[in-house]
Amino acid sequence: MTTEILEPPGVARPARGARIPPPPGGGDGDDREPAPRRPFLDNVRLAMIFLISGEIMFFGGLVSAFLVLRVSAAVWPPPLQPRLPVAVTGLNTLVLLASSATMLAAGRALRRRDGAALLRWLLATAGLGALFLLVQGYEWARLIRFGLTLSSGAYGATFYTLIGAHAAHVLGALVWLLVVAVLAARAPLLERRAGPLTACAMYWHFVVALWPLLYVAVYLA
Amino acid sequence: MLDWWLPENVSTYGKDIDWLFQLIYYITGATLVLVSVALVAFLWIYRDRPGRRARYTHGSTPLEIAWTVVPALILVLLTALSVPAWSRIKMTQPDTDFVVEVTAKQFNWQITYPGPDGRFGTADDKTLLDEMHVPVNKVVRVVLKSQDVIHSFFVPQFRMKQDVVPGREIAQWFEATKPGKYELPCAELCGFGHSGMKGWVYVHTPADYAKWAAETLTAATPPAGDAPRDEPRREEKAKR
Amino acid sequence: MSVISASAHAHVEHHELGFLRTYVFSTDHKMIGRQFLFLGLMMMILGGALALVIRWQLAWPETPVPGLGLILRETGGILEPSTYNMAFTMHATIMIFFVVMPILAGGFGNFLIPLMIGARDMAFPVLNMLSFWAAFVAGILMLAGFFVPGGHAAAGWTSYAPLASVVEYTGVNWGQNLWLISLFVLGISSMMGSINYITTVINMRAPGMSMFRMPLVIWSLFITAILLLLALPVLTSAAAMMLFDRVLGTSWFRPSGGGEPLLWQHLFWYFGHPEVYILILPAMGIASEILPVFARKPIFGYHAMAFSMIAIAFLSWVVYGHHMFVSGMNPALGMAFTVSTMIIAVPSAIKTFNWLGTLWGGRIRLTVPMLNALAFVSMFVIGGLSGIFMASTPVDIYIQDTYYIVAHIHYVVFGGSIFGAFAAIYYWFPKMFGRMTNRALGHLHFWPTFVFFNMTFFPMHILGIGGHMRRIYNPLQYEFLQPLQWWNVLITIGAIGLGLAQLPFVINFFWSLFAGPRAPLNPWNATTLEWTAPSPPPHLNWGGALPTVYRGPYEYSVPEWAEDFLPQTVPAARAGARRH
Ligand code: HEA
Ligand code: HEA
Ligand code: CUA
Ligand SMILES: [Cu+2]
Repeated sequence: MTTEILEPPGVARPARGARIPPPPGGGDGDDREPAPRRPFLDNVRLAMIFLISGEIMFFGGLVSAFLVLRVSAAVWPPPLQPRLPVAVTGLNTLVLLASSATMLAAGRALRRRDGAALLRWLLATAGLGALFLLVQGYEWARLIRFGLTLSSGAYGATFYTLIGAHAAHVLGALVWLLVVAVLAARAPLLERRAGPLTACAMYWHFVVALWPLLYVAVYLA
Repeated sequence: MLDWWLPENVSTYGKDIDWLFQLIYYITGATLVLVSVALVAFLWIYRDRPGRRARYTHGSTPLEIAWTVVPALILVLLTALSVPAWSRIKMTQPDTDFVVEVTAKQFNWQITYPGPDGRFGTADDKTLLDEMHVPVNKVVRVVLKSQDVIHSFFVPQFRMKQDVVPGREIAQWFEATKPGKYELPCAELCGFGHSGMKGWVYVHTPADYAKWAAETLTAATPPAGDAPRDEPRREEKAKR
Repeated sequence: MSVISASAHAHVEHHELGFLRTYVFSTDHKMIGRQFLFLGLMMMILGGALALVIRWQLAWPETPVPGLGLILRETGGILEPSTYNMAFTMHATIMIFFVVMPILAGGFGNFLIPLMIGARDMAFPVLNMLSFWAAFVAGILMLAGFFVPGGHAAAGWTSYAPLASVVEYTGVNWGQNLWLISLFVLGISSMMGSINYITTVINMRAPGMSMFRMPLVIWSLFITAILLLLALPVLTSAAAMMLFDRVLGTSWFRPSGGGEPLLWQHLFWYFGHPEVYILILPAMGIASEILPVFARKPIFGYHAMAFSMIAIAFLSWVVYGHHMFVSGMNPALGMAFTVSTMIIAVPSAIKTFNWLGTLWGGRIRLTVPMLNALAFVSMFVIGGLSGIFMASTPVDIYIQDTYYIVAHIHYVVFGGSIFGAFAAIYYWFPKMFGRMTNRALGHLHFWPTFVFFNMTFFPMHILGIGGHMRRIYNPLQYEFLQPLQWWNVLITIGAIGLGLAQLPFVINFFWSLFAGPRAPLNPWNATTLEWTAPSPPPHLNWGGALPTVYRGPYEYSVPEWAEDFLPQTVPAARAGARRH
């Protein structure tokens, strides 16, 4: 049976009398010397930026949906619904923001190659994150007792979905952080092999930075 | 030949839609012929022959500008022609005293007439199932509501289509230009009964319409003994 | 003379991996690409079978579908309306999410990106493997929906709320839930894949491979990955909301609880329109790759080709409302969306004419990949032009939700994406599997497919103009459609022919896989990097140093070069260049 082979690949050689340099080959021209490329951001940081942009789109979907319902509702918050715990959650916001600071400290410890401090700061970050989740969980339990549930209309639905999605992300980041902490405890991360920590830290900061926006949108506005 | 083209148009704004349709049809048709002829011609003219070497070129700025600008202009033109028709059909409501309420539900059209008092929500409202009667040459406002899912009010011969969304009231209008009986399918998937969810729009001459209205709408005084219906009616009158 | 760059000193060792690590849990981008390809092709059989079931019902309503009696025992193979709805919902879902996306973005994205930019693998090979397995799990979840009581999702691939968000309206319970969960998982898979692609393209290019020396197919996959990264999370969020509505009793989309049905449509189409470009962009890239090779000519307007894809990617975020002209959204918005939709046709026009420009003055060989690529160009034009009718709001009032739309869909996704996929399979098969495909079988596949494709989908325009609604179970229920019924019969005969026309492809594929003649290094005399690696490329792609790139990807018929192709890797000095 015949197959689709064209001419056999020959050895490339210049035609006689070749002098003119070929014009740019449908792209950057020949004048660019091949050189090893030095990326301006390493793979891990770059990938995390993209992961975070994807996550922003995810939360963008949720938040814009929330805003649509909120704007189209006649009264908000709807009457006969429990009020959200603005003050406690405000304090809790500070807890979460503090965890970003401890995470930065962990990064500094890493750069100092101070393994013990690194571990300490990582655990402090995890502790603050866990505290945040516990307070949130406690407040949720109270709200549910007061009758605000997922199925009690748009108010409950948007509240639990948005805040719950964030809580799930904090939980995920927490697990990730603990894994990194275990890695750090087993073999101190060297600065040049700090990929896992860099990634985790970037994600952590994202989760923290997201929170104040949600707090303002859901609790205050 | 008949079934190759748009069904007969019997509404005022249908003409605008058909005109635009044909305009785009000719423009895109010409584009398609142009592209296809060029493609086939090139395949033939530049087919591989011994001794031929392809032309070495990376493009041509004037040509590229030309084939960016020309389609862009055509498209701007089409936009400019589409916008006025759209705003006439969907963004303006001509004055009318003829209002019908249509409530869609899985899988029927409920057409409600205000009854002799000319108001909706009163007891003399008359609701028909899957049939709508309107006079010819009169602007008809249709207020669309849904009890469950999204349906779509579609009358092919009127070139009229509008989704019916639960939780909203959407007002639309049409003006039929020819008496007759036109099918009213539901055009948005609304469940297992979507196919076959349809009604009829009867467009009557003024005389016919008056006759029909007298028989069906005005003469709809409930037969004696229909007590529960009578009660709220008296209240209505008292309020007036 | 070989130029070895400093960074290319990766040490390549030959190590044996077990069967599992090589074929199943492989982290090699080429194997993952093949896995995606197989996933897509297998799912295509199911998607195609469902299409034929749909067609049978439409041509001969309520008669037993041959062979379906074995599955639908109670009805003896006659479709019920709810089963029909399920059939087209799942047909579209499978074709879009589990055929076109896996084959083009998953399969060729994985296979081509490292090979064509001169990298040894993706930036994150393990993530890449997880991406495939997440897609696989999503596929299993989607298939599982066929076996749950209540049947599979039946609210259209667009799953409009509240039809899809309230169980009572369709009677479908876990089917719709699994549909949502599966798309959620697929969203995670796509996130992992797209992050990988983007990072790889930005950071892992071989020395000399600047962005504007990348082949256009890599540009298209790069842009597709960005769209995937940003679009799918929106669907994921909407799917989560709908799942909560269904399972946890929230009321995002339920008007009685303060929800808003149109919200779903806004979110869905905000994802959905970028999605359709996700389906077409890789095929555009593939055509831009294949046309120059078989016309032996540089691509016409390389920069315009790259920038028009970027323009499409940007504009695709602001046109989504053209799916909602008559949805009840504010009609003023409809005007704005008309404007943007018309504008987005301009970059496509640029691409079309540049493809024609590439053919002009060439030396054209009608090989099987070339035929499929040409079919892509011509059929995409038909599909694109029918899009112009819908972009005009007044015209869309009439043709929305009719077969005119169905015709448009299939001209762009089958005529566009699937012909693009066929072209890519025939073109890269030698590199993917190290064997040549059979030419006679290739023609036997292409010509009937092309003819039956048009016989199936062209008459749908006529049905649409006649007012034939889409998603209807039985056209004979409508008096105004009865005179059109013979078109439905014709279309169904075409569709059966189209299905049969795929048999030579299946035979060719498997025969060549095992018994095709061994492929040489560069069977098409192409210039891009993948043809400098062995066929099939080994683990880590290039045995010695990584290739070094000296020029753009489309140097065909360079006058001062004896061969009619000048590979990207031939050093500038040898090509007679003096400039530095
Ligand atoms: C691969 C997928 C793909 C692609 C590429 C496109 C491309 C386009 N689509 Fe399509 N579309 C779909 C897939 C796709 N679409 C699907 C699946 C649906 C249905 C969803 C559903 O409801 O289920 C849909 C629905 C859809 C609608 C909604 C219809 C409705 O429901 O009422 C509209 C409306 O504007 C539209 C428009 C367009 C336009 C203007 C383009 C343009 O990008 C096309 C541009 C190309 C050209 C125009 C051709 C080449 C250009 C020339 C030769 C130059 C000269 C041209 C002129 C001067 C006019 N599409
Ligand atoms: C990529 C997308 C894609 C593809 C390829 C197809 C392919 C086909 N489609 Fe589909 N279709 C859609 C996307 C697609 N469709 C969408 C989005 C809708 C809208 C759904 C909705 O309303 O919600 C739709 C709706 C739709 C309808 C309208 C239903 C309705 O509104 O009631 C119809 C009716 O005729 C139809 C028919 C067909 C036919 C006959 C094919 C044929 O082309 C199929 C032919 C293919 C085969 C028979 C398979 C052959 C097998 C192989 C090639 C595998 C080879 C395997 C190996 C080598 C291992 N499709
Ligand atoms: Cu009602 Cu379709
Ligand atoms: Cu679109």
